[in-house]
Order: sequence, then structure tokens, then C-alpha cells
Amino acid sequence: MAASPPADRVVHDRPFLTFARRNAIWGYLLVIPAMILLIGLVAYPFFYAIYISFTSRIVGDAGHWIGLDNFRYLSKTASFEKTIRNTITLVVVSDVLKLFFGLGLALILNEQLRARGMFRAFVLLPWAMPGFVAFLVWRLLFTPIGGGINLILSETGIDNSYIDWLGQKSTAMPAVIIATVWRGFPFWCISFLAALQTVPPELYEAAKIDGANAVQRFRSVTLPHLRQVILIVVLLSSIWTANSFENIWLMTQGGPSDATMVFPVLAYFGMQTQRLGEAAAVSVAMVPALLILVFLVTTLIEREDD
Amino acid sequence: MTHISRRRFLGTTTAAAGAAALGSTRLTEMLSAKAAPAVLQEKAKLTYWGGLIFSDDANNLLTDTINQWGEDNNVDTEVVMINQNETNQKVSAAVESGTMPDALDMGLDLQLLLTNTGQLMELDDLYTKIGDAHGGWYASVDAAAKLAGATTGIPFGPSGNLLFSRQDVLEAAGLTPPPATWQDVRDWSKQAQKPPLFGMGLALSNVGDGNLQMSVLQSYGGRIADDAGTTVTLDTPETRTYMEWVTGAFADGLFPPGATTWDGAGDNTAYLAGQAIFIANTGSVHLAAAEDDPELDANTNFAALPAGPVMQVSPINPNVRAIPTSTEDPDTAKALIEFLANKDFMEQYLNVAIYGPALNEYASFAIFQEPVHAGLLNLVEHGTAPGAPDVYNTAYADFSANFIVPKMVQRVVVDGLSVDDAIKEAQEQGQLIYDKYK
Repeated sequence: MAASPPADRVVHDRPFLTFARRNAIWGYLLVIPAMILLIGLVAYPFFYAIYISFTSRIVGDAGHWIGLDNFRYLSKTASFEKTIRNTITLVVVSDVLKLFFGLGLALILNEQLRARGMFRAFVLLPWAMPGFVAFLVWRLLFTPIGGGINLILSETGIDNSYIDWLGQKSTAMPAVIIATVWRGFPFWCISFLAALQTVPPELYEAAKIDGANAVQRFRSVTLPHLRQVILIVVLLSSIWTANSFENIWLMTQGGPSDATMVFPVLAYFGMQTQRLGEAAAVSVAMVPALLILVFLVTTLIEREDD
Repeated sequence: MTHISRRRFLGTTTAAAGAAALGSTRLTEMLSAKAAPAVLQEKAKLTYWGGLIFSDDANNLLTDTINQWGEDNNVDTEVVMINQNETNQKVSAAVESGTMPDALDMGLDLQLLLTNTGQLMELDDLYTKIGDAHGGWYASVDAAAKLAGATTGIPFGPSGNLLFSRQDVLEAAGLTPPPATWQDVRDWSKQAQKPPLFGMGLALSNVGDGNLQMSVLQSYGGRIADDAGTTVTLDTPETRTYMEWVTGAFADGLFPPGATTWDGAGDNTAYLAGQAIFIANTGSVHLAAAEDDPELDANTNFAALPAGPVMQVSPINPNVRAIPTSTEDPDTAKALIEFLANKDFMEQYLNVAIYGPALNEYASFAIFQEPVHAGLLNLVEHGTAPGAPDVYNTAYADFSANFIVPKMVQRVVVDGLSVDDAIKEAQEQGQLIYDKYK
């Protein structure tokens, strides 16, 4: 019978790179490229922008730390309060309308229609069109003299005046919202359509047998299956809309009288004088609202998962 | 035979690939540094950013001339034509990344900003040399060239707004253009307009054209700031008189609908579409009309901007050629800029570009007998320095970039604010900007 080695010898001979450790190190090595990319392309610019917003930096001059001065200046400008209000209005109203039209069309396109494939492709057209083309077309439609909408109104005898859709406080933001919704709703529609196709038909049949009407089937079967997709689409669309520049810039440049001024356009104006600190402060001012939104939506998604 | 496990193979190749990626930049630098023989390094390299203008002929002429000059002088030239609306952004990115060209065209606003941060070389010697060689600089150009605090740009194409009037429409109404005053513009518009042809095709929006209203305000005796250029002085009776003129005209329906949100091409489009009797434009509309609608061009009267009750304000913008301090070969860049001021090239260039003469010698060119160029010659001879009677400084440029005056007008005509409240708000917002530079 061979003598077994003493216990301390066993511990001493155990290789440092055990199978588990080698696996762990290998795992970390594989993750490093992704980490480098995330830090270099996402985290560094993000935190650098936050840092710049606290400095007097201008193009060609590193500036110095000025604390909250840029934010103080921003809060005193007449445009800032309107910018907050307009950005919230644009995001909330656009999201509600995109949800309404996106979901409505998705429900219709989920039915057995003739030429359904063609209609599904057709819905994607606004999304597929380059943004600057889409918004320039909408600008032309809203043009007071010779614009498509006023032409329709005058040809049908409804109104012969030159309605300045983009030049009036009461109509400028609605006009921008209409164009934004038109361009963005296909993403919602296609996302919902994909989710609808994962709902087992047996559930609808069972609900029907139980006597549920169409509204009850929608509320008890369809909606629960769509909830996660709705949350994700709301999150993505809100971020995209809050950051959207070309819709406002091409249609109104933030006017008239700041009626459509939003954060990205305000930041762009800040860049015109090469005051990087100020421009960064405008962008950073929008971050807390988006962080709250991200936090809320991800919490809701996690709760759904649980 | 040594066994290489799959894991070891993957690990080795990943490490090698990583090392190669990390080392590639350095390797490239080393190779390029070693590979360039001395004889090749002697050939100078020069990158030039030209300002793209509406005339393709002018853009091509500038590019070809610089490249030909490069060939003749053993200089490897690269000419990049930049959309002038994007010069600011491109230059900002280039300054931050250290990739500025060796020389470039720019307007006064950008020149001022870059001069203040020490990004441009002082060119006093070159400025004097070129001036002496070509009959001297026009006084208005000379004044504008020194506004940046140092001579950091060589003017080549002064531009500014001219008043375009529909001669046919006005004569049919018994009026003979050009109108002498802004009040005439308003009165004549009321008399001659027949919608959809509106009288006053002047932008009131957040674009550069909207800042024409600053000049109109000044011609009414209003001032943006005091003589020291530090305290905003908008809240005055003169500003009120101006505001009554502009908001009254708006209330009378003399501005084409849409003027409060026009983009940079709004007035061009309105005039070319027959929707405006008067516009203020630097000349691009003339080029477009001459090509697409010669009848409209023939029916257009070109004149200096009208006067207000106090003075005539017709600012010139001295577009300049500048040399960044980052250039490694300032002598070559200076030689090119000196060459580009030569009479033969400038005569060809001004034939196709809508600019006035910067130097006295150029005034003899035949093109300055043509209506638009004659107007630009007149502008250079009698125009005012940028910002005048105000002090043109960085605060003034920031004030302009924030469109405080057009927004003051918008507050009344769009939001229905009283003139007094709009002026008070503009005064506060303007002072907020000026305070940043104290």
C-alpha cells in the first residue's frame, strides 16, 4: 500500500492555474476587447463631455474648471425653459401617437389580409427614407405659399389663406410632431408585428371559447405579450426623439420664437461660437431626464421578467 | 512532434493579433518616417481649404489655379472646398484634433474667434506687401481686416447685402427703385404687393439672414452695446422706433408667410418664386436668376441697403485667407496667398464670383460695370465696417449667433408680447451674453 502524501504537500503541489482559474482568466481575456471598445467609444466620450461641461473650454483652448457656471448661464437664458418644455412635449406626444398608430397598424397587418406582404413593406417606407429627405418633404408640404397642405385646403375650398403652419406658435410644434411621428411609427409597427406573431393562436381560441369579446382578448391576451416590446420600443424611441436634430433643424431651426427649440438644436447653436463647455452643458442637462427614463423602463422590464 | 492544443493555438493567435493591432500605428509611423528619402521631403506640401461659393466656375478656378501654382513651384497641393455653412464645425474639429490645413478661407466671425485663441498667424508683413503691390486696400476693407485685433487674414472678397428690388412691379405701381429708406421699403411694399407677391422678403428667423435686422436697427439709431462693447444698450427709444417699423410691417402682412422660420435659402426661394418684391442678398440670387430666369434678373434693381432715419448701415464682410499657427510651412502658405492676390487671377475670379474689390487695383476690372458687381464696388467704397456703429468683438459675434434681434421681433409677431416687454427681454438676454466676456 502506497503511503499517501502529507496534507500540506497536496496543497503545495496544486498548480496555481487550476482549470477553474484558467477558465476565468480566459473569460476575462475574451471580454477585454469588448470592455476596451465600451470604455473607449462610450464611457470615455460620455464622462469627458460631462467634464467639459464644468469648464470654460472653447475650441483651441482647454479652459479651466468653472463649476456650475455653464449651467447657471444656461438656466438664465430665455430659451432653456422652453427647450425643456418642448423636448418633453415632443417626446411624450410623439411616443403616444407612435404607439397608437404603430399598434393599430400592427394589429391590422397581423390579420389575414390580401396583399399583406406588400402592405407590410409599404409601412416601412417612411423609416427607410433618409431623414433629411423626409423632413424636407414635410417642410415643403407645410410651406405657406404653394405648399401641399395649403393647396389641398384651397382646392377643396376649405381655406384660401396662406396658413403659416411652421411660423405660428400654435401650429409649429404640432407640425413637427406630425413629421416626427410619420417618420418614426414604422419602427413601432414592425416591432409590434413581430411580437404579435409570437402570441400562440390557441390562447385566442381559448379566450373565445370562454366568451371573451375582441376588447377583452386584446386586453388579456395581446397586451400582456406585447408589454415588454412596448417598454423597449418606448425607451429606444424616447432616446432617439429626444436626441433628434434633423426634424427640427430642417423644418423650423427651433423657431418661431423658440416654439420648437429642443436640446440638440440648442447645443448646435452653442457650438456656433465654439464654446465647447456651454454646448456640452446643454447636452449634459438632458442626461438626467434620460437616465430616469432608462431606470424606469429597465426596472419595469426586470419586474416583467420576474 | 510538439502538440499544440486548440486552446493554446487560440491564445497565441489572439495575443499576436492584439499585439499587431496595438503595434500597427507605431509601426506605420516608424516605417513612414524611415521610408521618406530626403529628396522627397524637400517637395513642400500644402493643404488649402477653400470656401465653396454658389459659382462652380469660381470654385473650379480657385482649385485649378492653386494646383497649377503647386506644379510650377514644386509644391504638392491639396485643395479641399468646404461648404461655408460648415466651415465653423470643420475648423473646430480640425483645431481640436490638430489637423488644420496650411491655409484656408473664412469669414470675419470665425477669424475673430480663432485669432482670440491664438490659432492664426499674424500676417502684417504680407498684408502690407500685397496692399503696396496692388494700389492699396480699400478703407472699409482695411478697417474690417483689423477688427480681429491683429491682421490675421488677407482679405480677398468683400461681400455684403444688396437690396434687390422688383423693378417691373414697382414701376407698374408708379415707383422708381431703389427706395432710399427702410420706411420707403415698407410704404412701397404696401402700395405694390399683390399676394402671393409680398413686399418685404426679409428673414425674421434664426439664420444669418435674420441678423440683417441688426443693421436695420442700427440705421434707426439703435445700438447693441455701448462704445466700450461691454454693456448692452438695446432698451432705448430708437429700438422702440425700429420695432414699431418692423412689427407694424408684419401686422400689415408685408412679410411673406414663413419669414419667421425661413432657412438660409428662404429669401432666395421667395424671390425666385415671385413671392417677394424686396430682398437683401449677397448676390447668389442674381447668379440663380441669370441662369434660370433671365427675365427676372433683367427686371431686378440692385442697390445698397436703404438708410434708416439716423444713418445708412451697410456692413461689409471681408472674406479672408488665413494661415493657422499649426502649419509647418508658413512661407509656402504665404507665397500662395500672395500669388492669389495677383491681378490676372483676381480678374478671372471676380468675373465668376460675387465679391467686391478688396484692393484699389481691382476696381478697374470690366466686371465692376455690371449691375451687381457695381453695387458691390459701391458697397466697398461706401459700406460700413462689420458691426458698425457697434464694436465688433466676440461678445457681438456671440450676440449675433444667438439671434437676439430677430428673436426680439419674433417675440412680438409670434408670441404677441408687447414691444416694450420684448425689448426688455432682449436687453437682459443680450447682457447675459456680454457678461460672459467681461
